[in-house]
Amino acid sequence: MVHALEEIHRLVKPAGILIDIHPVAEPSPVKIHQGEKIEPVGDLSVRQWCSDYQHADEALTEIKQRGLFMVEREAMFNSLTYYDSAAEMRTDWKEAIDKFARDAQSIDESAPQADAMAARAEELMQAAGNGAELVVGERVHISRLKPI
Amino acid sequence: MTIRTDPENNETRALSDIANFSGQHVLEIGCGDGRVTWLYADKAAHVTAIDPSAKLIVLASQELPSHLQDRVEFHNATFEDFATASKSSVFDIVILSWSLC
Repeated sequence: MVHALEEIHRLVKPAGILIDIHPVAEPSPVKIHQGEKIEPVGDLSVRQWCSDYQHADEALTEIKQRGLFMVEREAMFNSLTYYDSAAEMRTDWKEAIDKFARDAQSIDESAPQADAMAARAEELMQAAGNGAELVVGERVHISRLKPI
Repeated sequence: MTIRTDPENNETRALSDIANFSGQHVLEIGCGDGRVTWLYADKAAHVTAIDPSAKLIVLASQELPSHLQDRVEFHNATFEDFATASKSSVFDIVILSWSLC
C-alpha cells in the first residue's frame, strides 16, 4: 500500500494532486426506508473491509510523515446504497466480501454476519410490504494531497 | 433489480469541491465499473482509468458515452503493472477510487 503511494508520487506531476476516497473503518447502518418511515435493521460490521480501510489510513499517515505528500484539503460525506430486496443486497455484499477476502488472501469471517443481517432484512422487508427499500450507509473520507 | 448508489450525489459534490478537473489529465486507480469516472470525466482533458477486474472494465467500457470515447481509456491492469510501464510526472490528478486497500 505504501509502495503504491510511492509510485503515485512518481506518476503525478509536481504541481498535480492525489485524491483519495475511501470509507471510514466503522460499521455501516442498514435501514429500511418506506416513504417517510425509516426502520433500522442493524449495523453491518465487515471485519475485512474495516481492517483494509484502517490500513489505508495508516499508509496515508506514513507517507505524510515521510514527507511525500501533504494534505491540502479533506472532507467527509455520506454514501447511501439503495436495494429493492434483501436478496439483491446479499448478492452485492457477497461479491464485495469475496473480493476483499481474495485480495487479502484470507478467509473472511464476516459472511455469516452478512447472511444473518440479510435474513433479518428479508423478514422486515416482507412485513413492510410494497415500496420499501433497503438502504446501507457509509461514511466516506475524501482528501486532496499535494506531492512534496 | 436496480442498485442505486449515492442518488443524492454527495460524492459528485465532494469531488467538485475538492478539485477542478477542467483540462486535467487524470489517472483513476480502481475505477471498477466506472461509477466514479462518470462523475468528473466530462470536465477532464483525458482520463486513464484502470482496474484489475476484467469483468468490471468490460462493464465500464460498455457504458462509455460516445462523446467521451476520445477522452476516456479503460485498461484492465493492476496498478503495479500499469506503474511499471508508465513514465514519471504525467498526470495532473491521480484518484484512488475506493481502492487504497
